[in-house]
Amino acid sequence: MPKLIIDNIPVEVADGVTVLEAAQSVDIPIPHFCWHPALGKAGACRVCAVKMVDGPVKGIQMSCMLPAQDGMVVSTTDPEAVAMRRNVIEWLMINHPHDCPVCDEGGECQLQDYTIAGGHGIRRYSGTKRTHINQDLGPYIEHEMNRCIQCYRCVRFYQEYAGGTDFGVMGSAGRVYYGRFEDGQLESPFSGNLVDICPTGVFTDKTARFKARYWDYDMAPSVCPGCSLGCNTTPVARYRELLKMTARRNEAVNGWFICDRSRFANDAVNDPQRPRTPLIDGREASRDEALEALLLRIAQIEELYGSGSIAVVGSSRLALEGAALLPRLAECCSAGALCYFTSQEESDRTLPLIELLSSGKPASQRDVRESDCIVVCGCDPLQKAPMLALAVRQAWRNGAAVYVVPFGSAQGTEGVQKSTILQMNRWLSGVEASQEPKRLYDAISVHSLDAVPLADAKQPVLICSATNAPDRLAETLEQQSNLKLAVIFPAANSYVAAQLAGAHGAVSLEHAVATGKIKGIIAVEADIPPQLLEGIPFVAALDWRMTETVQAAQIVLPTTAWVEMDGTCINNEGRAQRFKKVMNPGVPVRGLDPAGHPPHIHRTIPPGGEPQPAWQTVAALIEGLCGEQITEPLSGKWERLQELAAESEGVMINDL
Amino acid sequence: MKILSDIAALLTGMWITWKHIFRRPVTIQYPEEKRTPYPRYRARIVLTRDPDGGERCVACQLCSAACPVDCISMQPGEEADGRRYAEWFRINFARCIFCGLCAEACPTLAIQMTPDFEICKRDIMDLVYEKEDLLIDGCGKSPEYNFYRHAGIGVTQQRGEGIEEKRPVDVRSLLP
Ligand code: SF4
Ligand code: SF4
Ligand code: SF4
Ligand code: SF4
Repeated sequence: MPKLIIDNIPVEVADGVTVLEAAQSVDIPIPHFCWHPALGKAGACRVCAVKMVDGPVKGIQMSCMLPAQDGMVVSTTDPEAVAMRRNVIEWLMINHPHDCPVCDEGGECQLQDYTIAGGHGIRRYSGTKRTHINQDLGPYIEHEMNRCIQCYRCVRFYQEYAGGTDFGVMGSAGRVYYGRFEDGQLESPFSGNLVDICPTGVFTDKTARFKARYWDYDMAPSVCPGCSLGCNTTPVARYRELLKMTARRNEAVNGWFICDRSRFANDAVNDPQRPRTPLIDGREASRDEALEALLLRIAQIEELYGSGSIAVVGSSRLALEGAALLPRLAECCSAGALCYFTSQEESDRTLPLIELLSSGKPASQRDVRESDCIVVCGCDPLQKAPMLALAVRQAWRNGAAVYVVPFGSAQGTEGVQKSTILQMNRWLSGVEASQEPKRLYDAISVHSLDAVPLADAKQPVLICSATNAPDRLAETLEQQSNLKLAVIFPAANSYVAAQLAGAHGAVSLEHAVATGKIKGIIAVEADIPPQLLEGIPFVAALDWRMTETVQAAQIVLPTTAWVEMDGTCINNEGRAQRFKKVMNPGVPVRGLDPAGHPPHIHRTIPPGGEPQPAWQTVAALIEGLCGEQITEPLSGKWERLQELAAESEGVMINDL
Repeated sequence: MKILSDIAALLTGMWITWKHIFRRPVTIQYPEEKRTPYPRYRARIVLTRDPDGGERCVACQLCSAACPVDCISMQPGEEADGRRYAEWFRINFARCIFCGLCAEACPTLAIQMTPDFEICKRDIMDLVYEKEDLLIDGCGKSPEYNFYRHAGIGVTQQRGEGIEEKRPVDVRSLLP
């Protein structure tokens, strides 16, 4: 544990920590471009210079390259160090174009910040600047090479951290160029992180090109609904349009990055077809009218077909707040069935796994990154939960052994199903089920779980998918006490759905409909296959997406998307995480008059801004049915989650 | 003697009154009579064009960020040639305090203050000016500046052919 003094402040840090990190630990900022917590040091930018006044090394040193040692006396404010940093920034700016006003990084640019903070406010060099020809990197990422300051972050991320091979650094001397061999879409499903990681505007998000500036953004801490991992994000919105998704740091979960499936999936929220007005039999109505009509229909159905003819259906994408109220709603309308799953098979497979996870040891993405032995069992994490594959790669880079056990459906079709965004990445379209994702990590293929030398491993992790879990999972976990389990569930909130289904004795909708008793369905953000709706006289849908169920419903009550509300989700480990409201619901300003400017009208609620979070509509129904007022959806078992902070690492619900 | 100083005070006041009665007035009969403000007077804002006739504003949002009363809003957009411009640009003159900070912040010299201070309307909504009301057909002050000639992003000229630029490098060259 070296002890050193930085700017007269004594600091004690762990072995191997750099002077730069030691300074950060006591809130002394040192400018840096090439150093990044997830990528480590490169010593390329020379901007983190400090003066070593006393101790084992003396003079000007790069603080990112120097491990902290006992007896060091560091000055970040020494005139020599300050002059060095100012000069380095001036060199970096010599070739930098004069284009901040038309650069999407402007306002959130590390180069801008450090140029001003470093004291280089006025250009002295009046010679000509080197220029580059840009590449077309596909529909998601814009390339503007003139802005590059040669920090090497992009290549270090792309090749080392994410295992990409189609992007790199070329050229020599003043000509170094960061790009592909030829124009074309970046192949890595993590390519979007270049936007976050580049400290300048070389890589910017093309889907949000020329849309807004940092100081105008609507932002809030959020959680990705793309898969069951619950990676942390910061969505960015402006004028009621979701512009882009950025990664948010959570060391226990995603670290610093997110996958492209999350980053480039804003269309669902911005979809002009989204239901925004309540509908009664296809006629537009107010929210109160629609609620009243729904209560009336519920009463009619019960009168006609008797009690127990309504099914209340949730889903595995519904946030905890809404899902936790459904049992009460089911009671209030004396429903015949409470369902969180439509398919019996999914329900049967998910429930036991949740039980196992809540009694066993769930593995977080951090556990995977730090593991020394990983068994990937009958699934391809790259397709179902991309960041998990990236976590496996980090463990593999640190020397972990990765075993792959193909079995069950993995030998057949599992993995062929590709999400739309990832399909566009050529990387994945080439990966067939028989081909394990070799490019991210080398794996040893074994025929069964018994062939894996688990007993020798210190922190082993088993990764499997809920759709194809191995049979003797419980036994294996019991035998191997240090084995942790990471399950990939089909949807973001599968854990919530299965938890509540287990606790409240819910059945699958398939099963409920098969009894023939169900005559009315209240679908809360549920995607019900059309064949299950056949012969059901009444369907009401609460949803923010234009699903088939919404189209089939007689009464539609729009709800808010996750970026338009506060809520809680529980990821595949049972980690509850809070997401905050990013923007107000409503038709995007852009959609009001696409050709011209926004209309000159005063309004308190924007057009299409009436939808409420699903749980509030469910609470209104409960109030209408049994007069009970619910102001706080998280009660009972969930009460402690009320205080959950969005910026925290989340809370394991096993600890509640 | 108190009475003498009182009389002196009265007479002084009277003297000043009479002196001003015979002076030339400083006020004018506005609006019948008008006075020309100085060219740097800060009043109605305009958006100017560059010497080549293109819109100068690149919708960089610096003016709206600088505005202390938040009366500027806009939506940037992109032309086919990569030119960034304002799809719509709005100044609410009912709120503007004519401080000139926007003009000071503007990196392209697009937004400028003019001496036209006569902006009164009966309906306050008419004081919300859109781009078509703001954009003029001239350069205003600094007639020679064209931001895109210096920006290096290849809008008004090929990349590498701007005033301060070298030709684009050949990455594949092995020459030193
Ligand atoms: S990278 Fe940063 S400094 Fe460079 S043009 Fe963009 S905003 Fe300006
Ligand atoms: S492209 Fe960005 S990340 Fe890569 S070296 Fe240049 S400045 Fe650094
Ligand atoms: S891995 Fe899953 S949760 Fe994480 S960013 Fe990608 S889609 Fe979202
Ligand atoms: S500062 Fe100038 S260029 Fe930028 S948006 Fe305002 S008027 Fe346009």
